[in-house]
Amino acid sequence: MRLTLRRRVTLSFGFGLLVVTSVLAFATWNLATGSMLRQREASATRQAEVNARLVERSPDLGTLLTGPDSAILVLGPAGTRTAGRPVDPARLPAGVVEHPPATARTTVDGLPALVVTRPLADGAVYVELFGLQQLDRTSTSLSAVLIAGTAGSALLGAALGSWVSNRALRPLAELSSAAGRIAGGDLHARLPDQDDPELAALAAEFNSTAQALERRALRDARFASDVSHELRSPLTTMVNAGEVLRRRGDHLPGTAGTALELLTSEVDRFARLVADLLEISRADQTDDPAPEEIALDVLVRTVVATRAPVPLDLEHAVVPGDRRRLERVVTNLLDNAERHAGGAVLVSVRVLGSRVRLEVEDAGPGVPEPLREEVFERFARGAAAGPGSGLGLALVREHVHRLGGRVWVEDRSPRGARFVVELVLRSSDG
Amino acid sequence: MCVRVLLVEDDERIRQALCLALSDEGFNVGEAGSGEEALPRLEAEPFDVVLVDLTLPGMDGLEVVRTLRERGDLPIIVVTARTDARDVIAGLEAGADDYVTKPFLAGVLAARVRALVRRRGPGREAVRVGALEIRPQEGVVHRAGERVHLTRTEFRLLLELAGAAGRIVTREQLLHKVWGYDYFGDTRLLDVHIRRLRRKIEVNPDDPELLLTVRGSGYRIRS
Repeated sequence: MRLTLRRRVTLSFGFGLLVVTSVLAFATWNLATGSMLRQREASATRQAEVNARLVERSPDLGTLLTGPDSAILVLGPAGTRTAGRPVDPARLPAGVVEHPPATARTTVDGLPALVVTRPLADGAVYVELFGLQQLDRTSTSLSAVLIAGTAGSALLGAALGSWVSNRALRPLAELSSAAGRIAGGDLHARLPDQDDPELAALAAEFNSTAQALERRALRDARFASDVSHELRSPLTTMVNAGEVLRRRGDHLPGTAGTALELLTSEVDRFARLVADLLEISRADQTDDPAPEEIALDVLVRTVVATRAPVPLDLEHAVVPGDRRRLERVVTNLLDNAERHAGGAVLVSVRVLGSRVRLEVEDAGPGVPEPLREEVFERFARGAAAGPGSGLGLALVREHVHRLGGRVWVEDRSPRGARFVVELVLRSSDG
Repeated sequence: MCVRVLLVEDDERIRQALCLALSDEGFNVGEAGSGEEALPRLEAEPFDVVLVDLTLPGMDGLEVVRTLRERGDLPIIVVTARTDARDVIAGLEAGADDYVTKPFLAGVLAARVRALVRRRGPGREAVRVGALEIRPQEGVVHRAGERVHLTRTEFRLLLELAGAAGRIVTREQLLHKVWGYDYFGDTRLLDVHIRRLRRKIEVNPDDPELLLTVRGSGYRIRS
């Protein structure tokens, strides 16, 4: 898997700082502990030198002890004298004891110590142990501080990397979100002005492209709207002249009557198409009035009451929205079921948490999987064969989007299709 | 009774087709090609309803509606090819009782006309609502003893609401009873009329005390 640019920058900042600080920490630790040990060795050696001379003159070892961890042994042919911490001479490193003067680090009974040996005049060997716990503790805490510092700086580096990459990538994120919004249909999306001259050029280019796209879409919509407007006047003449003729259809038997019937029914379809075209081109442009609260169950019942009866299963639900749009949604879904599936078999309104679903079910042939997006397109395939305008479901989608909801079609068992409109409930309900 | 309708429309073909179709519906149809031609005829002849196209040459359709409304309460239906909310609302605000958008069937228009010229129901008692006194038989409304001038549609709207005696009347009921909409109608029609009615009967139309909105369902009169 490839890491995102942001993550890579974050990781490299963190890793880079980790490497640099750990090298520094390691060097610091080495230098500091080495120098401390050398100092200790030097002072211990001097101390032992002095002590060895004193032992030659005075046999009392006790007064020479330097601390609780230290020990003094005098190993002579006459026997062994000790003072301080009890130490078994056999456990001292043999080389140091046998060849004085010598200095060595060792561990005696689990405690770190420095052993210094000096030959005495009478052939005996003076051995002094200096405890190194103090030094060990110091170097342990030094290493703890250094490790913590290294880890901290790595984290700091990662945080810095993340911040820097966020800052550097913000225009890119804005660009992708704006492009996404445009792709999703929001043609008003624009990039904010950029301070960086390189980005400013990109943003300006993007914005002018988006603006051109928006103008183009508006021009197309206006064209459809203008055309429909121009068609309205002749259509008014045609449908009404057709109506006058239809009333007298009985006087036109045979071929002429059939032709008249064909003509008037096509004029009606034409009128519906123009009305839908106008509505969809208007839906792109006009802004809604302030949303009112609408009882969806009542609205569905009212719409269904004007048509062929359909079984209803309605829960009470109040949605904010535009009544005209909701009525069109319900009407068009019912029209669609009538045209393609012999009529709806159930209309239901169901509350699901903070959302409400309006479902129109039919027992027709259903909508095959690959066409489920396409049926909501304007002039979708298949619509041309029917008596509809080919815009009914496109209008449904348009209105549902305007109402802030979603619409889709799914299978109904055992057969048929279920058109689902999902809307947000009134906020106080959910 | 033969309903006399004046059709004010500049497109001659539409005028002819509508004339034929409305005559088929049983109306006596007069024609006028412009506002300038229509206004004198309306003064001279007794029409029951006037249909005004909003886009007229010369005097604008809205201007014709405004002039007619100043003259009296002759029912006016606006005929428009423009369906933008602004145009429809402007027509209704100017005083139109109803509107239809092209293309429309004469049958639909005829139903609207019939709803507007419907005779008042059999004699009903005067109704009192707050400071309002409604006398259905005479078709007049008084507020605190002073006559309030309502159009016939406004009057019918008020009467429907007052008749419910404080119960909620839904939008659909009002559209059906006042305008004869079998099909659910446009909310703008009702909204504008309610606004106009409030301006005439409320002390403060922005804070109504008599004609109350019931959110999500309709309207009611405070009894």
